[in-house]
Amino acid sequence: MTLKILDPTVAADDATDVAVAKRVGDLDGKVLGLLHNGKVNGDRLLDLVREQLAARYGLRDVVVVRKPSASRVADEAVLDRLARECDAVITAIGD
Amino acid sequence: MPDAAVEVAVAGWAEAVEAYFERGWTDGLPVVPATAEAVRPFLEAAGRAPGDVVLAETTRRRTITAEKVAINAVLAGCQPDYMPVLLAALEAMADPAFTLHGAITSTGGSATLVVVNGPIRQRLGLNAGGNVFGPGWRANATIGRAIRLVTLNCLGAQPGLLDRSTQGHPGKYSYCIAELEEENPWEPLHVTRGLAPGTSAVTVFAAEGPHNVLSHYGEMAESVIVALADTMASLGSFSPGESFVVLAPEHVTILARDGWTKPGIREALYTRARRTVADLKRGGKLAGAVEPVDETTWAHRGRGPEDIHIVVAGGGAGGHSAFIPSWSRDRNSLAVTKEIR
Repeated sequence: MTLKILDPTVAADDATDVAVAKRVGDLDGKVLGLLHNGKVNGDRLLDLVREQLAARYGLRDVVVVRKPSASRVADEAVLDRLARECDAVITAIGD
Repeated sequence: MPDAAVEVAVAGWAEAVEAYFERGWTDGLPVVPATAEAVRPFLEAAGRAPGDVVLAETTRRRTITAEKVAINAVLAGCQPDYMPVLLAALEAMADPAFTLHGAITSTGGSATLVVVNGPIRQRLGLNAGGNVFGPGWRANATIGRAIRLVTLNCLGAQPGLLDRSTQGHPGKYSYCIAELEEENPWEPLHVTRGLAPGTSAVTVFAAEGPHNVLSHYGEMAESVIVALADTMASLGSFSPGESFVVLAPEHVTILARDGWTKPGIREALYTRARRTVADLKRGGKLAGAVEPVDETTWAHRGRGPEDIHIVVAGGGAGGHSAFIPSWSRDRNSLAVTKEIR
């Protein structure tokens, strides 16, 4: 006897429609975005990252955004703003 | 349209059970092998085509079809006529207010509590009485299990991968109860939440396990309220998140006899389930040193009385109610109610 059983799993939807952003190379003269996920100490971690990068590169500006909830993805307006204003964005989870 | 489910050929029934284990497609317990013949009546009972989309989870980009829900329902041991409950529960979990991805992956280790109301309880044989959170009833056990299997198999919340629960709790195997509306002198949960009496409904809540509230010897409503509020104010789960309070019939009888109403109970519990900010800081619930003003600044369980959801369930004997805290520490995830169609 042969039994044919069904696969109960679901794979992630095809993501081929999302292109990888162009790499920035270095951060001299660039605008850096910092996205804090909203958990305790995420802001402190990003402050340290900012210090380190500012010592190494001539950043033109830094845009800091905080998500209201760590459990929820950043809303479209926040992502659009980061995409519009920044050359590179770093996000951090603290806790 | 998503692809139809892939078939795997195995030598027989016992081999099929093992094949599901080998592929990591179970919750750790044996499953009922899902063949095309077994799945078909589930789709028929649901009135859905195999490719109908039931839930689209945007964070991890998972699209769950009726066929996948039916397969997992078979694995869980469900009957075909449980499908409408599963579909309504999954639709509720897809509501943005539930924050599905966070709820099923967080270190907080929540399970999806499923509360069923309305006439479908009797039709499916759902237990609302003794041992309501325990074993022994197929509908409760397998509906809750099917929700977990969908979470594992379709949403990718495998322990140690996407599910990062620090400890989790036993409700993650199955966590489905019905309300004992017949012993509820007020209105049932789904009516309080805006649905018409006589409808069937499901309410989902990203929840911790039930905390027992024993109050046997007071025999006055005040004693029940004191014990409930004290449990809700304990530091371990304290937050401004929502609460479920599952009242045992014995406590309900005492509360109703002494003239308490549902809004009155919610108001009293909100007012009394509180801690000082100093306590929260001493217990590591809030950061920072205790300031003098913290000793007289109060935080409550929930943002208001409407954050406390009352359900009646349990056996006729025993003064044991339950407090079920939210996984969410504030507004991240809220209870969602949907009509079962």
